[in-house]
Amino acid sequence: MLEFLELIWSDYTVRIITMGTAALGAILGLLGSFAVLRKQSLLGDAISHAALPGIVLAFILTQTKTTYVLLLGAIISGLIGSVLINSIVKRTHLKTDTALGIILSVFFGFGMLLLTAIQKQPDAAQAGLDKYLFGQAATLMLEDVKLLIAVLGLALLILFLFYKELKLLLFDADYAKTLGINTKYLDVLITVFIIVAIVLGLQTVGVVLMSAMLLAPAAAARQWTNSLSTMLFLSAILGMISGVLGTAISASQDNLSTGPVIVIIAVSLVVISFIFAPNRGLIAKRVQQRKNKKLFEKIKDDAATT
Amino acid sequence: MKLNFLLYFILFLLGSCSLTDENDSGKIRVVTTTSIVTDIVKNIGGDKIEVSGLMGAGIDPHLYKASEGDVMKLANAEMIIYGGLHLEGKLVDVFSKIERLGKHPVDLGATIPEHFLHRSKDFGGNYDPHVWFNVELIKIESKSVAEAFQKYDSINADYYQANLDAYLVKLDDLQAEIIEMVQTLPKESRHLVTAHDAFGYFGDAYGFKVIGLQGLSTATEAGVKDMRRVSDYIVKHHIKSIFIESSVPVKTIEALQMAVRSRGHQVNIGGMLYSDALGNEGEEEGTYIGMMRYNVKSIIDGLK
Amino acid sequence: MASQKGVKYAINVHDLTVAYDYKPVLWDIHLQVPEGVLMAIVGPNGAGKSTLIKAMLGIQKSITGTVEVFGKSYKEMRKEVAYVPQKEAIDWDFPTTVLDAVMMGTYGQLGWIKRPGKKEKKAALEALEQVGMLPFKNRQISQLSGGQQQRVFLARALVQNASIYIMDEPFQGVDATTEIAIINILKELREQGKTVLVVHHDLQTVPEYFDWVTFLNVKKIATGPVKEIFNDDNLNKTYGINYKVAVNQ
Repeated sequence: MLEFLELIWSDYTVRIITMGTAALGAILGLLGSFAVLRKQSLLGDAISHAALPGIVLAFILTQTKTTYVLLLGAIISGLIGSVLINSIVKRTHLKTDTALGIILSVFFGFGMLLLTAIQKQPDAAQAGLDKYLFGQAATLMLEDVKLLIAVLGLALLILFLFYKELKLLLFDADYAKTLGINTKYLDVLITVFIIVAIVLGLQTVGVVLMSAMLLAPAAAARQWTNSLSTMLFLSAILGMISGVLGTAISASQDNLSTGPVIVIIAVSLVVISFIFAPNRGLIAKRVQQRKNKKLFEKIKDDAATT
Repeated sequence: MKLNFLLYFILFLLGSCSLTDENDSGKIRVVTTTSIVTDIVKNIGGDKIEVSGLMGAGIDPHLYKASEGDVMKLANAEMIIYGGLHLEGKLVDVFSKIERLGKHPVDLGATIPEHFLHRSKDFGGNYDPHVWFNVELIKIESKSVAEAFQKYDSINADYYQANLDAYLVKLDDLQAEIIEMVQTLPKESRHLVTAHDAFGYFGDAYGFKVIGLQGLSTATEAGVKDMRRVSDYIVKHHIKSIFIESSVPVKTIEALQMAVRSRGHQVNIGGMLYSDALGNEGEEEGTYIGMMRYNVKSIIDGLK
Repeated sequence: MASQKGVKYAINVHDLTVAYDYKPVLWDIHLQVPEGVLMAIVGPNGAGKSTLIKAMLGIQKSITGTVEVFGKSYKEMRKEVAYVPQKEAIDWDFPTTVLDAVMMGTYGQLGWIKRPGKKEKKAALEALEQVGMLPFKNRQISQLSGGQQQRVFLARALVQNASIYIMDEPFQGVDATTEIAIINILKELREQGKTVLVVHHDLQTVPEYFDWVTFLNVKKIATGPVKEIFNDDNLNKTYGINYKVAVNQ
């Protein structure tokens, strides 16, 4: 571990990737909290899968391999998916999880179809479109990191400015409306940020595992605190830790993909939180139950003897 | 009951029709996989065959998945010839299913005697399939192709033999050319750094040290450790150029270049090499011989 | 019926119609709520009671209709109206304390970006005192009982210092003590000249708690002082033949 810390200083690649995965982990932790508290946990999954056809279509239409063009395609496709999810819920009697499932599978299936179709095109392999399924963190470059940090900064700014409105929106959207808060704009803002965060993360973690990265830090953080601001802060930190540790571990071994390792760490943090967190954790609850049991027994005994 | 029987009978007739089908052209329908295999097969089979290659220029055979159309082609083929040794990693299942149809796809890599082959570090039990970068091994494969044709179409055995002999001469010329070109590069400069471990046999045959960022298959991921290992190597040996490949993402090599730069060493991108596929059809690099020439020239020029 | 000249109504609803998928939920509602009344809105399940107040507050889209508050549009007079939604609609596992939840009532007055300060905290503490929840101020809302949750919601509305209070089934799922505490606060509000509208589910307590009542079943059946219109005839029209069962529940 110490060797790794030293490497961050000395080695360019390790430094860049660590910074990138740390920033990404923080963004995903932060925005994931919103998704979890809005009960839209699976939205991340649906959107990341929905981004796939956008990436491939962007390549087909522009024939460039530039990352930013592909990511723009991902954002557009993610947005369309998200709009469709809302429409389905509004216009039909289907529930949200059904709509999510439909969009997820249809878009992803379409994306895979496109991937197989363009196999026959010579430049496709050079665009590395396949890499978006599971990510390839090792190819993060300085520009990517700069972008990630910029988005993180922007998210923090918005959070700072509109903290109380966002908090109320999450807690009681109807009531918020009666106070004159424009819940629609805020809603769209949150969704757009989530989509952007997901798309930025696709290069590192990939389409398939993205939803875990969005949810795990937030779910873990929730266990440790009952204050919204602490939860947001903690989930950003946990996301960062997942990113950095994941990079450290995969950097020390041959043949360990960074993306999946990061996800495994994030999920492990969730498991640890579920078991060990004070108050909400399994162990804490057991201890409390035992205490209660002893207390009741004592009360019964006292009552019996008087 | 009677209706069912009638239905099946009609379907059977239609089915057998397509099997005996339009071989009116008289040519043998051969399906191949990579453009390299396609080229060799064309050179041996000449005008007695009709070749359909599944993968064209710039296609990555490690990741290629068969489409419905491909499976139909394979099912309707008379002969199937592929690179083998798990080069077409995602087609292995398809081939074993085709076996059950009574066809016997020819695994070219498997026809090479074991002692010529390199074992894979990553995929224990498997061999490095990039055999075409050693011209001698392509000679062996060409002979295997000829044998396969002669077995299937014994009437024209002499025709295939003649084509084989002519092609072997060309291959020998190519080999001599390559050796000559390589001699012009001093031994200390013979380090070839590429995106994936495709050039092992090349290094072995022509005296180069070869380093790939990713493993034997492009399906592997270049990890942080790989980046560091390779960039350290480049700096240590003062390597002038690194090479991108036609069928592998450019970003990987660019990231490597940045890593090297951060160590204070300037390394150029020496050009694009054809690693798992040929260039465009009709062009010089669209043939095996042309491709090899181009690759070797690029390597030599880049490292001088 | 046109409103009389000179009489100011707290709320004036014109021609309100709400429908989901061609099924009418509220039809052609004309409702005038005089200032200073404590009004119950009653009707069977599915009558559109919650929808009525949501449509009034702009939370629910309507096909036609206007809502005036003290003669002006609801949007202009927003600050005069405080809403207490059904507590069942909230996820009480949300990470926040009782005090924080009540302070949310001040957000409307603060506007964007400004943070709640001492003044807002003081108002929240006072409201908590009023509803008897001051000892719980730092408690997590997930640890509250139904009655306590309802009190917290009421405190949040009180903090707004509004002229009109609109509540959706505040007595549903609360203990007897809480019910009494809440109705006393509502009566106090009426003493102060405020107007209170309550979607109410328990017909038995209508005469005891409220001075005005509106009977609703997709259409407005009747509205007026309890003494005048809370009778068998209107109950029959609203609830149908089984109204006696409804009353005795």
